[in-house]
Amino acid sequence: MRFGSSLNAMLVAALCVAPLACGPAGDGEGRGGTVVVGMRSDFGGFNPITSSSTYDVALVNYALFTPLISYDDNLQPQPYLAESWELQGDTGVVFRLRQDVRWHDGQPVTAHDVFFTFERAKDPASASLIGSSFLAEVESARVVDDHTIAFHFVRPHAQAIDNFYWSPAPRHLLQDVPPGDMRNAPFNRQPVGSGPFLFGSWRANEQLMLQRNPDFPEGLGGPAAADRVVFRIIPEASTMLTELFTGNIHVDIPVTPEQVRQIRQNGNTELFSYPGRTFHYIGWNNARPPFDDARVRRAMTLAINRAEIIEALLYGEGQPAAGPIPPWHPMYPGIDPLPHDPAEAGRLLEQAGWVDRNGDGFRQNAAGQRLAFTLMASDDALRRSVVEVVQAQLRQVGADVQIRIMEFQTMLQNHRGRDFDAVFTNWELDNFNVASAPMSLFHSRQADIEQSPNRSSVRNPRLDAAMERGMLATDRGEQQGAWRDFAMTLQQEQPFTFMFWLNELAATQTGIQGVEMDPRGELRTISNWTIRR
Amino acid sequence: MGAFVLRRLLGAIPLLIGIATIIFFVLRLAPGDPTAFYFNPNVPPEVIEQLRRNMGLDQPLHIQYFRWLTSFMTGEFGYSFAQSRPVRDILMEALPNTLILTGSALVLVFLIGILIGVVQAVRQYSIFDSTSSIVSLFFYSMPSFWLALMLMLVFSLKAHQWGWPIALPPTGMTSVDYEFMNFGERVWDRISHLILPVGTLTLALAAGVARYTRGQMLEVVRQDYIRTARAKGLPERTVILKHALRNSMLPVITLLGLYIPFLFSGAVFVEVIFAWPGMGRIIVDAIFQRDYPLVMATSFVLAAMVVIGNLVADVLYAVADPRIRYD
Repeated sequence: MRFGSSLNAMLVAALCVAPLACGPAGDGEGRGGTVVVGMRSDFGGFNPITSSSTYDVALVNYALFTPLISYDDNLQPQPYLAESWELQGDTGVVFRLRQDVRWHDGQPVTAHDVFFTFERAKDPASASLIGSSFLAEVESARVVDDHTIAFHFVRPHAQAIDNFYWSPAPRHLLQDVPPGDMRNAPFNRQPVGSGPFLFGSWRANEQLMLQRNPDFPEGLGGPAAADRVVFRIIPEASTMLTELFTGNIHVDIPVTPEQVRQIRQNGNTELFSYPGRTFHYIGWNNARPPFDDARVRRAMTLAINRAEIIEALLYGEGQPAAGPIPPWHPMYPGIDPLPHDPAEAGRLLEQAGWVDRNGDGFRQNAAGQRLAFTLMASDDALRRSVVEVVQAQLRQVGADVQIRIMEFQTMLQNHRGRDFDAVFTNWELDNFNVASAPMSLFHSRQADIEQSPNRSSVRNPRLDAAMERGMLATDRGEQQGAWRDFAMTLQQEQPFTFMFWLNELAATQTGIQGVEMDPRGELRTISNWTIRR
Repeated sequence: MGAFVLRRLLGAIPLLIGIATIIFFVLRLAPGDPTAFYFNPNVPPEVIEQLRRNMGLDQPLHIQYFRWLTSFMTGEFGYSFAQSRPVRDILMEALPNTLILTGSALVLVFLIGILIGVVQAVRQYSIFDSTSSIVSLFFYSMPSFWLALMLMLVFSLKAHQWGWPIALPPTGMTSVDYEFMNFGERVWDRISHLILPVGTLTLALAAGVARYTRGQMLEVVRQDYIRTARAKGLPERTVILKHALRNSMLPVITLLGLYIPFLFSGAVFVEVIFAWPGMGRIIVDAIFQRDYPLVMATSFVLAAMVVIGNLVADVLYAVADPRIRYD
């Protein structure tokens, strides 16, 4: 008898392994169901001040907290927690906050919270991403009243409202945490937010559960559509795909390029592919021969067949890059990447004095030195295969490329220490401020700072001037002109060979509604995700 | 015996401190540091410097070492850099998960391995002996990640597509709706999640135990005291299971001692493929992230387990073989 009933329970449970097939099980569930999302690595913690990795920040802004502004489809700032704002000439801005947003413990979200977050983010001891990525041009803040806050800028500059794409943290829960301990605050692993989802539970490396916040204001889209969203951590890409196909997860983030065909062929899954925020590039060491000569760098770009690499190694899921401003950005200068032209590459190398003088198939300079260098990359499958193809393509124009594949940290140490000839790596844009990637990567004042991101030691007065103009111009036409100048100089100088913008890839079961993905991120519409029934 | 164990345990203390010291300095010889991995490259150098100060990494190495040693002696493992929470919490969360996985695997490994080994030895050169030898060598030489993927392919993906009555869940420890299940469903849910990862480990490891048991058993059955036992007229069953088996356990005990650290270290490949939230993944992530406090704590636990594993094996030798005495 006992055996029979437990066997019965076993069979029911076994048939019900797929939530889609059985629907969300019984008690405790409302009508929105449970959406299960597979992610490859665990989250780090949720604190608007200290969160820095992509998915932590995405959950902070889209699910758990409420940012001051949001972005529309054209990447223009829109009111969100701030219901309106007023620019004070070029020198500051006053935000008026909504009065109906509450922390999940019931306290109202006020200008004091925004001020507190600003102050902590500006304090270097908190090592805050908001402080470094958004507030560099913001000097001070002043609470006008409980729902009004004024900010004063360091100087007039472009895209001033973009400085405020961040969420306030609750002052009443965090004010006693010293800035240096903010990153270790227990709050970060059980956050009290203000967004459309409440924090539910979190088991490290296993799963994170968020619940619908029934009190989220209708003016901001109202409570989330799903009752619960569960993130399961599944490190292996092929296992994750098995989970998607067997119905145990509904959303798979991210998918690898070689899985695209399988997902398209499967009738129950839908592929999301959209232009992303990550570009891959070969960084030439501009301070070291032969790459101190712009003709050599340009020749390298001309000799590399990017279309072929995208087709063969990315399965078409990418597009050739010409610079650090993505094609979907309003400031995109519209300059096409250099073509694949090995003959022109050969002519440029000859002009620069690199000729095959002894008939061994490699070029030498006048002193008899071979055109040889090391191309370094960190150890992953995509990078490894890209550098191998690049090696073969550059061999065609007489360059002798040695490949060095290194563990990530070792690679990073060489890159930061400027101890390399060439490196294949990537850069991810963490905001929509057009100036931030160019200023970090190419401004000459960063060239000598140990550990700074200008690791290729790029020093070019024309680039500097164009970037500064673009960053400070408050007139849109002038901004556009400045970034066009920047892009044209970049095209001539080729301090990097920009390889490609990688498409972001994700997959869902066809039964999931409300999923939209674009450069604003995979989780952008997470509060609308729900199971069709 | 008690004195022997005590002596060994006391002797282990300087050994463990020595091991921890070597790991501490070797770890710092590796290039890179913990600020690199989980921190986005757009962050300016000043912020990274500040972060290093917050972590105490700006201090001279010997100061860092003595700080670590004193807090470690008082049982304080410190904060994980990468996970920003106490190392103790991380271990307490992952250790039970790993023990469930490796513990059930080891029990099965030794039960099945010994059973097969004994039958093979008793029926030497029989059809069972040769088939099971071939099969066990096949699994023994399979890379475990491949075996894991094949099992998953058949018992999860294909079972689901072909509509078998039971398709095993490929990953995790429990289903997402576990908290809404009744007791019976919960038990089955946990077991069904264990089958594939434990199966992978068992298939890969049981073969080794079977080979050792078979070899030693064949050796032992030729000994004089077995002939004596048979000559006394004892039934063959008693001779094998009581007299021969106990003595042929010596190499198996050695293996057991070697596997005890594995109970705690987890099995990285299996944990990654089946998304099992255990120690293996924590150790590997900690190394790549240069999460010094977490690496120190986990490697110390492992070093201690190696010592304990050896000690347990030595004690069990005396139990299995009356000729071995520690005085």
